Amino acid sequence: MLAIQLEAEPFEPLQALAEWHQLLAAELGMLPAAESHFVGRVRPSGANDSPLTALELEHYPGMTEACIASLAAAAAGQHGATAVLVRHRIGLVLPGDPIVLVAIGADRRGPAQRCCQELLEALKHDAPFWKREWHADGSSAWITGNTAL
Amino acid sequence: MAVSADPPSQVQVHLFAGLREAMGWSEQLVELAPAADATPHQLWRQLGLQPAHPPAGVRVAINQQFATWDASLAAGDELAFLPPISGG
Repeated sequence: MLAIQLEAEPFEPLQALAEWHQLLAAELGMLPAAESHFVGRVRPSGANDSPLTALELEHYPGMTEACIASLAAAAAGQHGATAVLVRHRIGLVLPGDPIVLVAIGADRRGPAQRCCQELLEALKHDAPFWKREWHADGSSAWITGNTAL
Repeated sequence: MAVSADPPSQVQVHLFAGLREAMGWSEQLVELAPAADATPHQLWRQLGLQPAHPPAGVRVAINQQFATWDASLAAGDELAFLPPISGG
């Protein structure tokens, strides 16, 4: 069971999880025995340690959503997870604000945790998103790589 | 009797992020050369995208699916050049 959503406005991860739990309870009758969650937030400084005023996320409308769904289905299938939630920001995101939420429901902690990590890495490398760092002096720079694991 | 014209042999090309800003455009219709075996690599050169040889990390998508640089393009395709991805 996949729930994928791009967010153009700030979202609250705990509220998103509560909504997901309601959906799971309605669809599955009960919540999975194991869950793994990851929340990523915008760092206060950029690649060269200079303070950030915002991080901008560009995406490819249509392809990005389809890629996330495909990656989520593949990871869930490989690990036997029963439910996947992905919520990912687009647009301008402020330091400290959530940028991505990945949640996995499975029957055991191992598959839940492994699926969560694998899907997060897949999102970073194979879902078409591009980040641009904005600085206080009005300058900006596109990021051409991913942060360290 | 009306004779319908052949459909134009065009592809819609999209650029994103730093590549879009470097080139100064985000999308355009591109005419495919007649009888040419058009590929993303050939269109990269035809459009004068820089650098002349696509840098490592730039990927292509045809009709919103990842594709190879030597994949064949057909009229009506949507081609995108994707700078290095940095999501999550």
